[in-house]
This record gives sequence, C-alpha cells and structure tokens, in this order.
Amino acid sequence: MRLTRHPILEFDRGREIEFEFEFDGRRLLGFEGESIAAALHANDIRVFRESVRRKRPRGFFCAIGRCSSCLMTVDGIPNIMTCVTPLREGMRVETQRGKGTIPLADLSSAGSPPPEPRRDSDDGATIPLAIVGMGPAGLSAAAYAGRMGVETVVIDENLVPGGQLIKQTHMFFGSREHYAQIRGVDIGDRLIANLESLPVKLMLGTTVLGLYPDRTLSLLAGTRHMQLKADAVILATGASENMLAFENCDLPGVYGAGAVQTLMNVHGVVPGKRVLMVGAGNIGLIVAYQLLQAGVDVAAVIDAAPEIGGYHVHAAKIRRAGVPILISHTILRVTGPDRVESAEICRVDDHWQPVPGSERKLPVDAVCLAVGLTPNCELAFQMGCRQTYMSELGGPVAVHGPDLETSIPGVFIAGDASGVEEASTAMIEGRLAGLAAAEWLGAESDTDELARLRDEAADSLKTLRAGPFGAKAREGKEKMLSSMNEDKAGTQ
Amino acid sequence: MTRDAMKTNADCVIIGGGVVGAAVAYYLAKGGMTNCVLLESEYLSSGATGRCGGGIRQQWSTEPNAQLAMDSVRIFKTLEEELDADIEFLQGGYLVLAYTDEDVEQFHKNFKLQRRLGLDVEILQPAEIATRVVRQLNTDGVRMATYCPSDASANPFLTTKAYAEAASRLGVEIRLFTPVTRILRDGNRIVGVETERGVINTPRVVNAAGSHSVLLAQTVDVQIPITPYRREILVTEPLERFLDPMIISFSFGIYFRQVKHGSVIGGFAYPDEEPGFNEESSVDFLTMMSRKLSFLMPALKHVKVVRQWAGLYDVTPDAQPIIGETDGIDGLFQASGFSGHGFMIAPRVSSLLAQLILGQKPDLDIGRLNVRRFSEGAIDLDHSVV
Repeated sequence: MRLTRHPILEFDRGREIEFEFEFDGRRLLGFEGESIAAALHANDIRVFRESVRRKRPRGFFCAIGRCSSCLMTVDGIPNIMTCVTPLREGMRVETQRGKGTIPLADLSSAGSPPPEPRRDSDDGATIPLAIVGMGPAGLSAAAYAGRMGVETVVIDENLVPGGQLIKQTHMFFGSREHYAQIRGVDIGDRLIANLESLPVKLMLGTTVLGLYPDRTLSLLAGTRHMQLKADAVILATGASENMLAFENCDLPGVYGAGAVQTLMNVHGVVPGKRVLMVGAGNIGLIVAYQLLQAGVDVAAVIDAAPEIGGYHVHAAKIRRAGVPILISHTILRVTGPDRVESAEICRVDDHWQPVPGSERKLPVDAVCLAVGLTPNCELAFQMGCRQTYMSELGGPVAVHGPDLETSIPGVFIAGDASGVEEASTAMIEGRLAGLAAAEWLGAESDTDELARLRDEAADSLKTLRAGPFGAKAREGKEKMLSSMNEDKAGTQ
Repeated sequence: MTRDAMKTNADCVIIGGGVVGAAVAYYLAKGGMTNCVLLESEYLSSGATGRCGGGIRQQWSTEPNAQLAMDSVRIFKTLEEELDADIEFLQGGYLVLAYTDEDVEQFHKNFKLQRRLGLDVEILQPAEIATRVVRQLNTDGVRMATYCPSDASANPFLTTKAYAEAASRLGVEIRLFTPVTRILRDGNRIVGVETERGVINTPRVVNAAGSHSVLLAQTVDVQIPITPYRREILVTEPLERFLDPMIISFSFGIYFRQVKHGSVIGGFAYPDEEPGFNEESSVDFLTMMSRKLSFLMPALKHVKVVRQWAGLYDVTPDAQPIIGETDGIDGLFQASGFSGHGFMIAPRVSSLLAQLILGQKPDLDIGRLNVRRFSEGAIDLDHSVV
C-alpha cells in the first residue's frame, strides 16, 4: 500500500509508468525511478524469488543492496538486486527460480577483440583523496578535507546522497553542533550544502567493486567500469543489518529495520498492516514510532534483554501510543504459506532460554528486525588492512587509531564502518578522518587551523560518547587502541 | 588432522598439502608405507592447488606430457570410487581455439601426435563449434579448433581433501598449520625435517611445496630451477548449467569453464608478469579478463564477478615438473615445478613417484623429469601452456 499522507514527509514521486510482472504477465503501475522492490510491494507482491536448493519463497530484507534476498530476473537478466535497481517504463520483472540463465544466444554485442594485455597499462584517473560512502561520515569527511584544500571525490552506489539519513524522520538530540532539533532527512541536505565551493566532486550511482593494494578503486556506474587511483582513501561505508535466526526467518515479510525505513520513508510504501518489532534499542523504538506515523499498527516491541536498550524518551512515545514493549521476550517463529501471517513470541529466562508455556501467537503480516548492525569493512579487508573482532563495535572491524587511520598509512575508516554507533558520532569521525587525510596528504593549508579543528572534533566526540549510551563504543575503541599499542610494543 | 603430539619418527615426510603432496601420501600408504607425515604450512589446498581452475587436459604437444595426462584421466575416472568421495569429476571436454598461423600449424602437429596416442581429439572448423560443442561462442577470428570430449575437470579442493582423508585412513599423519623451517641432512643423506612444532626424524622427504620448494631445497644446499609467477583468476555468480567444456586459447590467452556449482571460473596470463612471490589481485586483470570473456561469450557481460584471486605458477625452464630423487642426497625427492598444470597430472605423477620411493620400478619411466635434466642441456619445451 502506498502512503498518500504523512505527518512529516512529502513524497516526490516520479512519473507513473507501467511495467510487466512475470513473462507475458500482469501489467502493473509504479513510479519511474523508485526501486523495483518498492513498486512490487506497492502492488502487494512479496515473493521475489525461490531459494535455489529448497525452493523457499524469498522477498526482500535489507533494501540497500547487501543481502541478495531480493534477486529477480529483470528484462531477461538474472540476479538483479531489485531493492536498489530503479524502475523503468516497460521493464519485465520476473520471479527468479533457480540460479538464473542468461540470454546466451545473443552474440551481437561482442564488439572488437580486447587489446594485448599489458601490466603497465594506465587507463585510470587519479585523485588525491577518494571517500567511499556519502552518508554522514563520508560527507563530513569531504567537507573537512575540502576545507583544507584537498581535491576529493566522494563515491556512493545510491542515486541520492545522505546514506541512511534520508530515511530518518526523527529529530536529532545533542547540541547545535550536532544538528540537534533537525530531522535526519534535512541533515543530509545541509551536509551537501557544506560542500559548496569546495574542491569536492560527488559520484552517485557508482559502486566501488574493489579496493586494491596499489590504492586503485574499481568502480561500476551502471554498466560502465572505471578505475580511479587515489593517494589517500577514507572508507565511510556504513554498516549492514544483522539477521536473527528463528524458524522461517527467510519468509517474505521479515525485514531489517532499515529496509522498513527505506520502504516507508523514502518510497512511501508501508511494509504491512500490523508489524512486530524485534529489538528495543534506539533503532527498534524509532522505527516503531515511524510505523505509527505512517498509520501502521505495531503489535508489540520485544527484546530479549531484561531492559530497554534505547532512550527512554523514544520508548515513552510509543508506549503512549499504546504499543506494549515486552522485555525478556524473543521471537520463536513466523508462519504463513509464502508470506508472514503470524509470529510466535515467548518469554526468556535469565539464561536467555525460552520459558515453556509462555508462547504467544500474534497475528502480524510483517516482522521488523532491529537487532544490531555489522560494520561494512570489506573494502578495508580486501586491501589488506589489519582486522580484529570487537563485539562492542559490532563485529569484525579494521584496526584504527584515534585519527581513524587503519594499519595501512593513508587509508582511513570512519562512521559505522569503524564501529557501529550513530549518525552524530559518524559525522564527527568523518571530520577527524577528513582532517587526518588532509594532514597525511600534506595539505598546504593552515596547520594551526587544522590542529584546532581536530582538537575541537576530538573533544566533541568525547562529549558524545560520555554518557552511558556511549559506553560500549567508548570501551570498544579503547580496547582496540590498547591492542594496537601492544602490537607496536611487540614489534619493537 | 590429529591433535595429539606429532610423530618424531617417520619413514617419509611429505612437505606440502596441495594435490601432489596429498596424492603422494595416499599412494605411499596404499603401497604399504603408512608411517608417513604430511606437513602443510596452512590448510589443505591453500597454495596453488586451491587457486587453480581445475581443468584436466590431455591435449599436450609433447608425447610424455600427453601420456601423463591421459593416464591421469584414466585414474580420475575411478578416483571417486577409489577414494570414496565426490570430487566433481566431469568429462565435459576441452575446446582449444586457434587464432594464428602458428596455432594452426602447431594444432595439426598436436592432433597427429595425440591421435597416435589414442586420444579422442578432433579438428573442428569454426562453423562446427556452434553445432558440435558450444553454441554461444563468438568465433570471430577463430581459424580452427581442436576438441577432445574426454578432457575433464574436477574440484581441486575436494580432490586434495579426498586424497588426504584416504591417506589418513591408511595411517598417514596429516599436520596442518605446521610450517617446515628446514630439511635436515647428514652428509649425503636426509635425516629429518625441522618444523615450527618440533623435529621429525626421517630418511625420506618429498618436497612438494610448489614455488616454496626452491626455498626448502636451499636449506640442504640444493638448487632447483623454479621461478614463481603470479597468475590471476576470477569467478562469477552461479548460473544454471549452460557450458560443459573448458574453453582455452594459447594465443588469445584465456581459459574458462563452468564449475558444478554454476559459477564461471577463468583466467589468463599476463605475458609481461614479473617473477616473484606476489599473490595480490589486480584491477587490470579484472578489467581485461572481463573484456576477454565478454568478447568470446557476449552474454557473459550480464554476469557478475563475485571474486578474484591470485596464485603462483611454479615455472621450470621447460614448463615440465621436477620429479624424482636428487642426485647426491639420498632420500630427497622433488615433486614440484608443475608450471601451472599440476592438478591435471597429479594422480599419475604422484603414483609414479610413490613407486620410486617404495623402491619399485615405476610403470612409466619418469627419469626425464629428474632435476638433473637442466644440467645436461637439451630441454623439450611444451607449447601447450596457458
């Protein structure tokens, strides 16, 4: 179902167009440029493909091109990520069964034979600083590196900048410096505005496929493949939502919280009529409230922990709306033939084990998982940055110091990619990384100014992490620092 | 694979947990020498074996190579039964494409030789490729091709694991993550192997460590002429089965096939690759390989590459392996220098080497593969190396 009225958002939809669902199948209506997945959802289609081995129905889960659950055959080409592929007029979208087949008979597009391969070929552009990711960390990094006069390219696979900010309808907390009292959706615009008149170029719709040891980035824009060689790199690639294992957890209708936000706040399509929220951290609480804003019923918010993890002000808001928050509860299973029709929950004891007899079945048509995030560090690991596992930071992360530099000089990591926190700290980390990269590149600007900005950002980060909610990240970062120092001592 | 203390005395220590090391260990144990230890510095197939394309080709330009490969295919055909394991063996054939005058001339020579040896190879005109072998190939520039339907492929990981497990069942001790620091000799004989986890006394060592064999041989003052070269390779997302044969060309520079899981795997060699122990992936390779693949099979341009990696070819001056005992040092056996085609001939070469170690007369004389050939001059270069 599409939202027509929303208390905060206005949906700037494209032209209404027709597309085809299934071969010689139904003609459906959608909006040009919205994701194929959103258009299908608006038409109440939830099953996108069949799993290869067990032929289980699969829908979409992450909505940011990470999880591969939404692969479909589009215009005859299999394995298309429909959650990030824009809808075009006349597209033929088919449920994918099996591994997919390509239109093999077509030999027409062979083109000319490739040239003799040579190692010394140098057909890529060069840039002093490449930033991967146009979310809060990446855009802040670009603004501060740009301010120091560093020529910078910022690359993002999405068609709009802002990263996850574009789906945040809530106002941020903190001080003016941290964009308090401003909604996330508007912060992205301000970050972009900050870049005006700076030597910063934005490349949207461009996926970084690989980051090689010689600092070459392999880029894909549509079907065009490019190379870009950078002197310094800042990885601001964010995080991916965690999955939770329970019976039928792959059934269409089980979504990541971010996916629900994307569907609802970016595309104006609701995920269902009645939703169970799993996870009472800030994301779970905020998204539950956003669901209510969009007119969706929230059956309950559950969390296996014995207390609410998020801010109590968020919890209070949804409680006032009559949504129960059930702590020490977990989800056992969802049921339904090819989409979620109900969810079974139960209490857990002090050892996180289900309490027999406490099972309860909730009639819901969607389950939203807000059970944490894992940093996206693949590019850093590809390049050979040293990694460590730090549960406080969300899992495997690239080892980095207070200036966000990884084990490879001139390669920095910032925001959720360096350890999962939230947008405010991501922006400050971005600043620090931008300044550190500028310094590393020997930017010819005012070094006093650079030092002043860096101290300011470091103080700001300390303030943001000072409270009990910043404790985990604080501990994680400190642990990493001490392990780094031990390594250094060990090699001396 | 065992957790208790490592053996301190063995009849033979095999260094290298690639397909050759694992196969030699198996054939030794099968021949009765079960008190052996296989040492691997990381995990099974972590070197060249696990990085290769898994092709098993019999179409070679020299008789000894073709013979070894044909014998290996015969062994491969019953290997799953013998080792009691699935190794994804498939006789999907090899299609070899000729683009130049030199190719055409060489292919006719090869064809004659291979037919004389009894190989089911045939010559195809470009138009026959589509009707006989593979419809989806762009044959622009192709002068002719040879096709051998009994050429094959298998999964290198599964094959190595199958050999190692079968060896283990016969009593061979397999030690992973156990790097060898040096081979120990006393005068003109081998007395043991020193590892990071202690010493094993043994009168026999098989040096099957790929490119690293050179460094190991140096610990007993033996020089073997092997040069490591990086070779890169990539794999795509899986697709429903559409391609049976491995497709290769020496002059166009490519090899690729579809593995059982459905992915397309393939690579090519840069003619100007510098020698060295470099195993980094390069963006140049990704770009060029994608162009080559989508030229030869245009529909593949719609397929996503999911991974690329690199491995080392252990290249000898004649692109043929170094097999056999080392002159002047009793008990030091070499089994490396496979120059990029170790997997396909491993079953046969390993069983022949095992016979040699067991003091038997090998079924096929492999004296020509002894390292001494390089000090004797005349070498016979095989032209069929990708």
